[in-house]
Parts: sequence; structure tokens; C-alpha cells
Amino acid sequence: MTRIGLRLALAYRSNIVFMMVTLVAQVFLLRMIWTAVYGARTEAAGITLPQLLAYLTLANLQVFAMNTQVSRIISHRIRTGTVFFDLARPVGFMRQMTAFQAGNTLGGLLLLLPVVPVVLLVGSITAPAHLPGYVVTLVLGYAITVELALLISLIGFWTLETVWVAVLFRLVSQFFAGTMVPLAFFPGFLGALADVLPFKYMGYVPAGVYIGHITELVPTVLGELAWAAGLALLLQLIWSRAHRRVVIQGG
Amino acid sequence: MIRVEGLSKVFRRPRTFSGPFGTVRTLFTRQYEEKLAVDDVSFEIDEGEIVGYLGPNGAGKSTTIKMLTGILTPTGGSIEVNGLVPWRERTANARNVGVVFGQRSQLWWDLPLIESLRLVGALYDVRHFDKALSKVREILGLDGFLDTPVRQLSLGQRMRGDLAAAVLYEPPLLYLDEPTVGLDVLAKEAVREFIVETNRSGRTTVMLTTHDLADVEALCKRIILIDHGKVLFDGAIDALVNQPRRLVVELESGTRTYDIHDDLPGMVATIAAEHTIRDLSIVEPDLESVIKGIYAR
Repeated sequence: MTRIGLRLALAYRSNIVFMMVTLVAQVFLLRMIWTAVYGARTEAAGITLPQLLAYLTLANLQVFAMNTQVSRIISHRIRTGTVFFDLARPVGFMRQMTAFQAGNTLGGLLLLLPVVPVVLLVGSITAPAHLPGYVVTLVLGYAITVELALLISLIGFWTLETVWVAVLFRLVSQFFAGTMVPLAFFPGFLGALADVLPFKYMGYVPAGVYIGHITELVPTVLGELAWAAGLALLLQLIWSRAHRRVVIQGG
Repeated sequence: MIRVEGLSKVFRRPRTFSGPFGTVRTLFTRQYEEKLAVDDVSFEIDEGEIVGYLGPNGAGKSTTIKMLTGILTPTGGSIEVNGLVPWRERTANARNVGVVFGQRSQLWWDLPLIESLRLVGALYDVRHFDKALSKVREILGLDGFLDTPVRQLSLGQRMRGDLAAAVLYEPPLLYLDEPTVGLDVLAKEAVREFIVETNRSGRTTVMLTTHDLADVEALCKRIILIDHGKVLFDGAIDALVNQPRRLVVELESGTRTYDIHDDLPGMVATIAAEHTIRDLSIVEPDLESVIKGIYAR
């Protein structure tokens, strides 16, 4: 299944390449805007301009690399009824879909790799403040992203139509991941909301660790672990309900 | 191989509303409608048999097959497939069973056929994949299009690909649901030959659902007929078709039909002596009209 995900990512490469143009453009625009906003200032909310630009470049790269296809695939398979075959396999559905997404991400990374220097050039990068911390928060952030995507796609077992959910999810998650504005700049209520939502782990948290804005690593990683574990549990619970619905209702 | 006893399945679906806000009401309703899709079905299928499981659209065939694969749990009754209870031992049962749905494909649309077969190989732990592949490649003639994306295959090639995916791990049991639907005469013939070959060489048990009675006549000795979820007939095709030929005579007073026993010329002479015959024809018993007769009962 991993291989299928990888091959599919490569099969749709023109699609991904097109999206990369958007990524480069977005990073470029963000750089222009934020440089203008900072003007003569050297820092805001404890973040210097070079740090901020590195943050924006990384956060956008991350969210792009973590973009998941699994919800789209699952919703398509439910609507066309081909999910029947997945359910008839001797391997569990969730395991198959997780493997698929892992392969798909890997394929996306292979395509993204040559573009990374361009993005870094158009944006800006600094040396990492804490590389191991970055890698750990990033990997856990990826796990959380995949769990959220799987959770969203399970809605399809009840409503069949999940396109609107996916669009809403994408919009909300990108905003609260802090790809345009770092969460440190979110005012009062919005900041509190962004802090309790898990989307920050897709962008803000790893990129913040990278630039040295987030320094309390242990509570950050523990919080991330708790989210990953909690979502895994929730996923199990909802999946068993969805599966029961299938076996009793016929999907 | 398969033992089904008193099997039934009730679907409980939210009541659908029509009119303004119908969809919203459907979403929040607490009213349900129940539909009995399979109603007290019993049958046994022995190892190595090819059985036609026939019935009109919506008769409950696919629901039965889904219960046999373990995807649906029965509402009542019992099932045993190769010694396992499918819905309870779903994973073990999955390895015993190959499924083809003519109307749907298990192949990945945008990838070369070989990728879907590799996936099946990985999911079912096929140890000697290349050996298994070369075997199905040969009998199904996949050579020309293994590396072609599935969406570019003709329907006949796609169906062969689906059959390959279903038998790659050599399951002792095959459920084929309309495997010849939409195929041309030659492609149908190829699918039938493949079924016969698989059944003979591997003693594979086949349960075949189809609307093409030529498939049934070419492949099955026995059929099970169901409608409205109930078994209407279970037995040898020979017994069904083994009925007298009929003589249809058009007389001045109207059309009459007689069963032909032995002395056809004598029969005709007797009728001719009493009436003026305008036309006459002989009707051979055939499966289609026999089955129509059973459904009409």
C-alpha cells in the first residue's frame, strides 16, 4: 500500500509541480509583505525579521510537504463502493490507509526535494537553533496531521459526501498552523484558540523550534505526544463505530 | 465448503423524506425503515462445485456474497465457509476467498496493472510473487498490458486484470459477481474458459452470479435461484430443463399448446383430423423461459 501511495504521488506529478509554483509564489509574497510590515523595526514579539522569514519559509514548506491525499482517496472509495475491496482484505483498513499516506508523502517529498533550494532562496533561512528538537516536533506533527486527515475521512462512512469537510478542514488547518502569520502574533482570544487546536503542530511548533522562538522543548514535545496518542485512541473508537455501521448497514 | 443455514439480513435505514428540507429531515430523523434483504436462506456448496447464484436485480445476491466474505454480519442464521465463520474470523476468511465484482474494479485506476497485482501480493503475503504472477499471466494472457495504466485498458482486459487479482493468492473459493457484464462474445468466452480452468486445476469452488444465462449453461451444473431474499429453487440445471418439448399449433379457433411425448406425427394427425391447422411450431425447453416461469410463480 505504501508503494501504491508513492506511485500515485508520482503519477500525479504535474499536479504537484503546479502546486509547487503556488508554494514558491506564496513564500515570495509573504517575504515581501512581512519585510514591508517590519520596516525599520528589528523585532516584534521577540522574533527578528530574519527569524520570521525563516519561520514563514519553513512553515509553508512543512504544510506543503504534509499535505495529505488520504481523505480524498477514502471519500472516493466510499462513494464508488470500491471500499468493499479494502474491507475484504486480510489487513485492517486503517493500516492500509496509513501505509498509503506514508508512501504518498514520500513520493511528494521526492518531487519536492529539487524545489527546496528554490523555496529557501525565494524565502530565507537561518541556521537551526535546535535541530533534534525540530526533527522530533516535525515527525510528531506529521503523525498528528495524518491522524486528523483519517479522522476527517471517516465522516464519509456517515455522510458519503466529504468534499466540503475537506475544504473547510484545509482552510482552518492552514490558518491555525500559522503559515501566514506566526501564532505569537495572534491577538487574545484567537491566540488562545490557536493554542488549544492541534493545527499548530503542522507549522508553527516545529518552525518555531527551528528558529529558536520556542525554547521549552520538553513540555512542547509532551503536549504533542499527548495529542498524537489521544487522536490515535479517538481514531480507533470512531473507526470501530464506522466499521460496525458498515457491517450492519452495508455502507 | 460453504454451509448457510437460515441466513437473514435486515437493513435498517433512516427514513428518507421528500419535499423541502427533505435531506435535512432525513439526516436528523429517528424514524427508520427496515428492509429484509435476505430471508431465511439455506444452502450447501461442496468443494470443487461451480454454482450459479441467480436472481433478478435486488434479489439479495450481493448481500449474501458480502456476508460470505465477512464484510456484513448476518441478522440471523449461520454461515460457515471452509470451516470459518466469516464475520467473526474475517481476516482468516479473507485469505480463503477471491472476489470479482464485474461492475466495480479492485484495480488502481491511474496505475499500471502490475502495481495492483503487487499490492494484492503484499496484502495476502504471497511468498513467491513472480511465480504466482507468471502463472496467472499465462492463463489470462496479461502480457501485453501489465505495464499499462488500468484506465487505458479495454473492459475485457480490465476484467482479466480483476480475475488475476482475485486468484493470485490461490484462494480455494471464488465469488464472481457478473464477471462477464458488458464484454463482447470473445472476451466472455475467455472469462468462461478461465473459470473452467481454475475450477479444474485447483479444485477451486466457484459461486457465480450473472444475468447471462449462457454463462450458466456453459459453467454450472447446479443453480440456486433467489428472489425477494428467498430461495426459489436449488438443484441441477438438467432437472429444470429436462421437460418435454412442446408443440404449438395455430388453429382457426386459436392457438393451442401440447406436450410432446413420443409419437409426434401421430399427435399432429389426430389434431389435423379434428381441426384445420394454419401453422405449427415446436418449442424446445430452455433455461431462460424455465427461470422466468419460476420467478412468475
